[in-house]
Amino acid sequence: MPSATVNKPRPSELLSRLTSAEPEVKVRALREVKNQIIGNRTKKLSFLKLGAVPAVAGILADSIDDVTENNNCNNTNNFLVQSAAALGSFACGFDAGVQAVLDAGAFPNLLRLLANPNEKVVDAVARALRMIYQSKLAPKYDFLQQKNMEFLISLLNSEKETVSGLGASIISRSCETNLEQKALFDAGILRKLNSLLEGGSLSLRDASLESLATVFRNNPEVISKFAGPEIGRPLSSIIDLAKDRYPRTRLLACMCLIVIRNASPHFLQDIGIKTKLIHILLELLDDPGQVGDEAPFAFSSLIAQKEDLQKLALEANAIDKFHHHIKKGSLHPRRYEGILLALADMCSKLESCRSKFLSLQVLNLVADALTDYNAGVRAAACICLKSVTRSIKNLSAGYFMNETIVIPLVQLFLDPSTSVQVAALGATSNIVVDFTTRKSIFVQCGGMKQLVQLAKSMESSVRSNALWALKNFVFQADNRLKEGVFSELTASLLSSLIRDPEPSVQEQALALVRNLVDGCINLIEFVFAEDGLILGAIGRQLQCASKAEIGIQGMYALCNVASGNEFHREAVMQLLFTQMGDKNQSFVVKFLQSNDSQLRTATVWTIVNLTCPSSPGAPCRLEKLRNAGIVSQIKNMVNDPCVDVKLRVRTVLGQSMAFGDN
Amino acid sequence: MASSKKLISREEWEKRLNNVKIRKEDMNKLVMNFLVTEGNVEAAKKFRMESGTHHIDLATITDRMAVKKAAQCGNVKDAIEKINDLNPEILDTNPQLFFQLQQQRLIELIRNGKVEAALEFAQEELAPRAEENQSFLEELERTISLVAFEDTSNCPVGELLDISQRLKTASEVNAAVLTSQSNEKDPKLPSLLKMLIWAQNKLDKKAAYPCINDLSNARLEDPTF
Repeated sequence: MPSATVNKPRPSELLSRLTSAEPEVKVRALREVKNQIIGNRTKKLSFLKLGAVPAVAGILADSIDDVTENNNCNNTNNFLVQSAAALGSFACGFDAGVQAVLDAGAFPNLLRLLANPNEKVVDAVARALRMIYQSKLAPKYDFLQQKNMEFLISLLNSEKETVSGLGASIISRSCETNLEQKALFDAGILRKLNSLLEGGSLSLRDASLESLATVFRNNPEVISKFAGPEIGRPLSSIIDLAKDRYPRTRLLACMCLIVIRNASPHFLQDIGIKTKLIHILLELLDDPGQVGDEAPFAFSSLIAQKEDLQKLALEANAIDKFHHHIKKGSLHPRRYEGILLALADMCSKLESCRSKFLSLQVLNLVADALTDYNAGVRAAACICLKSVTRSIKNLSAGYFMNETIVIPLVQLFLDPSTSVQVAALGATSNIVVDFTTRKSIFVQCGGMKQLVQLAKSMESSVRSNALWALKNFVFQADNRLKEGVFSELTASLLSSLIRDPEPSVQEQALALVRNLVDGCINLIEFVFAEDGLILGAIGRQLQCASKAEIGIQGMYALCNVASGNEFHREAVMQLLFTQMGDKNQSFVVKFLQSNDSQLRTATVWTIVNLTCPSSPGAPCRLEKLRNAGIVSQIKNMVNDPCVDVKLRVRTVLGQSMAFGDN
Repeated sequence: MASSKKLISREEWEKRLNNVKIRKEDMNKLVMNFLVTEGNVEAAKKFRMESGTHHIDLATITDRMAVKKAAQCGNVKDAIEKINDLNPEILDTNPQLFFQLQQQRLIELIRNGKVEAALEFAQEELAPRAEENQSFLEELERTISLVAFEDTSNCPVGELLDISQRLKTASEVNAAVLTSQSNEKDPKLPSLLKMLIWAQNKLDKKAAYPCINDLSNARLEDPTF
């Protein structure tokens, strides 16, 4: 007769029974708690809040004492099994639970119990420990200590799969450094894991694949030692598993192979394996569960930054497949995010991929994702846009500067998540380099004002990315647009951004000035606004430039100013010379002597503009430069290895000869 | 139009078949595998005694069969407790299966007319799961709608009350336990037969030969054009 009664005591009632003096009551309550929390995250949380974990950990501890005192064995084992299982369930996929179990001091007790003679106890304990090790909160395992390594080896050698699986989980979680990887290799752990691959059960094989990947990650030396001498054999078991009947095994095997490929240029480089990996991962997308959610991330790790793989994936119709999946809709956020990032990687370098993307009308779907409720999805959509908008062909055609994209993108400037903001700014930076005259759309939807607001953000990455977008926005834009930007920014804000504590912000601010003053002479007045605030800031920043890029942008800004009229050129000269009063070497000479060819180029260009023959003040300025040793420095650069530098140097020298210099 | 297919007589075919060697041990293992995965404990024991073929610890089969039986009888709470005793990880790491079991519990409550208890159960146990997952929500709504119908035999979701639903749940549970016990969840015998059918289909295109049409008796039938 089916029984489906739902009569059960309140949680608090259950908890009080855990401390009952009667073992029968106690063990039944313990089992009931366990059965209520398994599979039920809500219950785990509510029992946690009531203090269940310390209570259960206490029962475990008491039972260990009973074992050592040889008390009633069966009963004790029952308590041990149930309490370990309950603790394991609290820790399963639930970080708050893991923390509570660790805080209750149960961890050392669980470790001790691995040596218990009763099989069921060992199973329960090993499982509980494995749940803990699947969490980031697990205590770090120190592989470099001899005793610990021996313990780990004993775990892996165990006949019980729960125990050897625990050993594998410890490796997957705790092995981080190259040193640890080498220590594991030297202890013969890899051979052991490989044998578990071939002989073990499904879950053990999966655990071993993960561990192997962890030990191989970014360590070409360990990889070649493992795979080298018996050419292909150890790797062949992993390659076989990539074709296993279980999807999760296929995924983990692929991930392991990708780790090997990415770390070591000698292995798995032939086109056969590359094509196989692409096909297997694309096919795993069809899995409806977690495996299908993770597959696109593995795909990204395979193709990122690698044009040859992106080309192969294009030929394998990867973009069509991703499109097909996004079109289906109601995706798990993790899967959605993964597919968008995979598309971003596909389109990051190759125009052929971007063309395919645009021809399939994927852009509209990505624009939809900009308003998704999940922050990871929104950020991924922006990153995808950033890749696609690298298509100069389509940028020039003004393809992206339309309301479907720009409006939701600008809204993301106000997103609560910083990473979404930064990603949106990245995409915007490309879109605003619109070579047509449609930039006004961006202004109309309030985008420009938003960027200026973001330039005042507390987050430095937001500030620098906002400035980057503004820099691109004003690139070769018309005067009216530039004036609009400048009046919104104000001289005081821009000068303070030039003096920002973060070098990346300084660099972008200077580059923005460079683009602003480039072109029409009237625009140069910007740097003189409010008593030359900006010009002064540039001068001070160049004096203490912490990296070459800052010098480059600053000098080009000055170079553009010096392309104006006499007043402008004199102001630049004054700037260069005011700083030269210091005991320190003038930054001009320092820049000319820099290892960075772009910095040398920018500096010489500025001198070119300052000594332009057609300007009346040129001879005077030239004299000053000569006196400061700058001309002789330039003479030394006649054979500069960089062509750009060499040509500008010759221009300067040619101009100086026009004034009778030898 | 002359046929390009090769004709193979029964005599020829049987001669070829005799040349293929199959080991008895392999066949025994197949039989044992079938008995074990299907859960025929007594038969497995007897077969071991009579053939000497080894198998996994029978206790695990017995445990698994207890779980399957509880599920088949609609004693879902009991089934859940038994699975958790066997291996607490199964339901903790398989939200789909767990939801299905809880759904079955709900169905049994509704079947027994315990409407109030059913709604309370749905609210407390199933609703939080459905919040996290669109497909769970849809299933929950379907199941709850059973309450609204007077005549459940005619309603659109009536199939949920069918015994087949219980059996489906029971077999999913069985498969999950099998997998966790590191056994293949499907018996090998069906795969072998499928392979046979596939091979015959392939061969049909090239030859006419004595084929097996009735798998249950595996009799060779004479080739026809």
